[in-house]
Amino acid sequence: MRTIKEKIRKHPCSVLMLFCLMFIASPFFCPFSMAQDTKPKVGKQSQDNEFVFTPQWTAQAQFAGYYVAEAKGFYRDAGVKVKIEHPSSTEPAMSRLRQNKCQATTLQLCQAMEIVDGGIPLVNILQTSMNNAMVIVSSRGKDPLTQKGAKVGIWSVGFGQLAICMSIKDHLDYEWIRFAQNTNLFVAGALDATLAMSYNEYYQLVQAGMKVSEKTVYRFCDHGYNVQEDGVYMNRDYFEKHKEQAMRFAKASRKGWEWAAQHPEETLDIVMSYTNKANIATNRVMQRLMLKEVLRLQVDRESQKREFRLRPDMVRKASQLMVENHMLSRPITYEELMPKK
Amino acid sequence: MKEIIQYIRRKLSVRVSLWVVLFAAIIFILALGFLFYQAREAVRQEAISRATQILDKTSLRVEGILNRVEVASDMTKWLALRHPDQADSMFVYSRSMLQNNPDFYNCSIAFEPDHFKERGRYFSAYTKHIGDSLRTIQGGSDNYQYFFMDWYLMPQLLDKPCWTEPYMDNDVSTNTSEMVTSYCQALKDKTGKFIGVINTSLSITWLSQTISETKPYPHSYSIMIGRGGTYFVHPDSTKITRQTIFTQTIEHPDTALIALGRAMQRGEEGIKRMNLDGTPSYVFYKPLGKTGCSMAIVCPESDIFGGFDRLRHAVMTIVVVGLLLMLYLFIRIITRELSPLHRLAKEAENIASGQFDAELPDFQRIDEIGQLTQSFAGMQQSLVKYIKELKDTTAQKASIERDIHIASGIQMGMLPENFPTKEDRDDVQLFASLTPAKDVGGDLFDFYFRDDKLFFCIGDVSGKGVPASLFMAVTRAVFRTVSFHESMPDRIMTSINMTMGEMNKTHMFVTLFVGVLDLPTGHLHYCNAGHDAPLLVGNEIHELQCDSNIPVGFMPSWKYTLQETLIPQGTTIFLFTDGLTEAMNINYEQFQMERVNEVAARALAQQQLEPKQIISMMTDAVHQFVGDAEQSDDLTMMAIQYMQPQNGAKRIQSITLDNDTQEVPQLNNFVNEICKSAGLDEISSSQITVAIEEAVVNTMSYAYPVGTHGSVKIEVTATKESIEFTITDSGIPFDPTAQEEADTTLPANKRRIGGLGIHIVRQVMDSIHYERMGNSNVLTLKKQI
Repeated sequence: MRTIKEKIRKHPCSVLMLFCLMFIASPFFCPFSMAQDTKPKVGKQSQDNEFVFTPQWTAQAQFAGYYVAEAKGFYRDAGVKVKIEHPSSTEPAMSRLRQNKCQATTLQLCQAMEIVDGGIPLVNILQTSMNNAMVIVSSRGKDPLTQKGAKVGIWSVGFGQLAICMSIKDHLDYEWIRFAQNTNLFVAGALDATLAMSYNEYYQLVQAGMKVSEKTVYRFCDHGYNVQEDGVYMNRDYFEKHKEQAMRFAKASRKGWEWAAQHPEETLDIVMSYTNKANIATNRVMQRLMLKEVLRLQVDRESQKREFRLRPDMVRKASQLMVENHMLSRPITYEELMPKK
Repeated sequence: MKEIIQYIRRKLSVRVSLWVVLFAAIIFILALGFLFYQAREAVRQEAISRATQILDKTSLRVEGILNRVEVASDMTKWLALRHPDQADSMFVYSRSMLQNNPDFYNCSIAFEPDHFKERGRYFSAYTKHIGDSLRTIQGGSDNYQYFFMDWYLMPQLLDKPCWTEPYMDNDVSTNTSEMVTSYCQALKDKTGKFIGVINTSLSITWLSQTISETKPYPHSYSIMIGRGGTYFVHPDSTKITRQTIFTQTIEHPDTALIALGRAMQRGEEGIKRMNLDGTPSYVFYKPLGKTGCSMAIVCPESDIFGGFDRLRHAVMTIVVVGLLLMLYLFIRIITRELSPLHRLAKEAENIASGQFDAELPDFQRIDEIGQLTQSFAGMQQSLVKYIKELKDTTAQKASIERDIHIASGIQMGMLPENFPTKEDRDDVQLFASLTPAKDVGGDLFDFYFRDDKLFFCIGDVSGKGVPASLFMAVTRAVFRTVSFHESMPDRIMTSINMTMGEMNKTHMFVTLFVGVLDLPTGHLHYCNAGHDAPLLVGNEIHELQCDSNIPVGFMPSWKYTLQETLIPQGTTIFLFTDGLTEAMNINYEQFQMERVNEVAARALAQQQLEPKQIISMMTDAVHQFVGDAEQSDDLTMMAIQYMQPQNGAKRIQSITLDNDTQEVPQLNNFVNEICKSAGLDEISSSQITVAIEEAVVNTMSYAYPVGTHGSVKIEVTATKESIEFTITDSGIPFDPTAQEEADTTLPANKRRIGGLGIHIVRQVMDSIHYERMGNSNVLTLKKQI
């Protein structure tokens, strides 16, 4: 009998697909899921016209723009009563969206495409990331491209589609080791390499005293995999009914990000108030580095501007890569992710 | 500051005291430095020993419980693998683990997905303390997929039992959380296939408390970090789990802290001295068993060396105060001991101001100051004596200087002061200058006119000053005396040399140039005794050819040679001493003959050939060259310009006869013709003819002994004022002027034979003069018209 580990090693894509399908299918089995109910249940907060926004991770500078918009009253000024609620280990962001406990969440583009492919229509109402942040960090001073068959850590919650594509395309045949969070396995020497976000895990490794250099770090954005990541998505049905509210939320959120770019230190104060409130084990130095990197990733390489838009070419590229590697059953188009005109 | 330095330089007492205190301070510093170093090292060793003991003790305690966890886990593993297919047994084993070890936090025996088909995808027998009781449940679910947890993955990936990094264990059911570290080991079936993990967790709360309470010094504290450097124990609670030991080094690089973190991560044990948060501290660190964690005790230096520093400050204060007190006392004592010197100094000032009889104080002391007073008294007496002697010597010197001044006047007075100019004479003009290097000098020059001849000399006596001046005076006097009756320069020079050589006991000598210029003809006879050759400046410039003769005064028997030349009209004879050519400037360069020639050439070009002009130009050139340099030698120059006489046409005629009386008629005709042409009457003509005949016959008779042949040359120079006959023969020396005259008062039969001829000559002619020139007798007869 083959173990999960062997399955992952031999068919990483199929296993990933399995997890995605589990996420996608779970609403069909969940008594409280909106998919099961033809009349989607509207949560209590939603009934009070409250707009609940759930970022996909715990409180950190990755979501600084939204914290700023809330703290500086941009949402209030826009006439949207926004409440930011973070996910928990028992209640991930997508789960909250499905259960209508929140009206919008952040997702990476590849994640969103998988979900749409799974049959849940989503609408991108605000695209913040213009560049890909994923990197592979190798241990023992090696170049990740020379570590064929290496044990490489990957998030269990479903990021890293591009890494799997790259592993197949470049015949590196990485053995993917799924981990829940943090970098402990890599630091303990249990992994040969690990996937990391340039604004989060990468700095965690630096903070753990790891010696990282350009040689040991593989940046996907520099090797033809520059696919956008974070964007704000909401269920298409909900969007169609609350279009104006959604757009006001998106506009105020964008304003929050623009203000954050102009006032990084004050933004950091706001971020730290959110992390302290959530009792997140982080510190100001890490959050400063994260904010700086996230803001950098929001600037489009070609226009050198914060465009806050989903790029059709990147959607095409992501779709093509994922279809080629059987992560999508069909191509997902730019139009499918955008509001209908 | 400048005032303080001036004060110290003025005060001997302060200076000596400062030196003493400085040396004392150096000795104190060296001794105390050594003592402090040794004491500090001892304190340091004590601190190391103390901290090491505490670390070892804590480590042992930690390892004790860790070993218990590992043994219990091994036993449970053994049990689980006996019945790997009985799921319910796993709950029993898990529970038993905590029952037997109440200080363990939890235990789970988790299996691979779908290991027990009937139990579904997840199976994890999880037991945990809830208050005093135990709760055992199945722990896996979609919301807690344990397959992705560190504790489940690590033993698989590392393929060995291991301790996880401390992590927060959240219990959703009780909403509690605890920081734990887990010992986990893989379960493999008989075929070696991985089937699950046994995880035994230990709360690190007690460990944190134990480590936190470790305080060997009042301000010391402990830290504990995990593999990733994360703080799990730190006095600043905001850093715990939130920061790593490297966090602050990201923005503010701190190589010491990074090195400590890396060493602790590698599980090393050691001591480091470093600044932590700006405080110099010692850090003692050691790994905590196999957990991957490392603890460290941070002891501020101020704590370790607190007592030692207090002692050191007290000692240093005592030493500084003691040294200042010593300085004060030394200054007072030395000032008191040196006070007599002040009085002595005042008395010395009085003596220095001229009060040589000032009375010195009597201190009645036998030390150095007493000796100094006595020496001073002796010096005072000697000073009085020497001052008196100095006065006498000064008076004597003044007298000598006065004498020398007078001597200088006398010496200058010896030299001719009136120089003939063209207003005075139409045939020659002359100018000379003598500038002695001292009051009196050894250079000389002289000239005078006799018988239409200019007699002149220039000389330089060896040495300078009074001896040279005396020698010069004698030389000049002898020149005058000798030249008065000798017309040929070689004979003059020989006579001077003979005279000077005989009385030259001081072995001095003089270089001398003597010349006799025949003014009507411009014929120059000269003799040079080792002097610089004169320059002839006329149509061209050239040196006068001079024979090599030794200076006057060396050898009385030396025969000097005669030289002659004709000086063309308008030519200037420039004579000088070596004071001209050897005049030196401040760079010790000499004027040299080249520059003399240059000035002479310039004078010629500018037609400045008059004696005064050429000497003036030469003097200016020398002064310009010498500049401010002191004159080292006497400088003498003399210039003689010869001009054709304007007031009388010369007629020169001559006749040469054999020494035969048969030639007399021819002589008489020759003389008679000349007398007539000179406008003389017959009586005068016949008298002159007779006188010349007598003189020539005398010469024929005595200059040439019987049987010898020779010739007699009669040369006549006639002017408006006079007729001069020069009779020259090459016979034996014969001076007719030395012959005794015939006594014409006696009757003819009683007169001595001979002597009548010279008597007639003297009666007729106005002057008669004989000279032996070389191998010739020269007799000159002159008659004024």
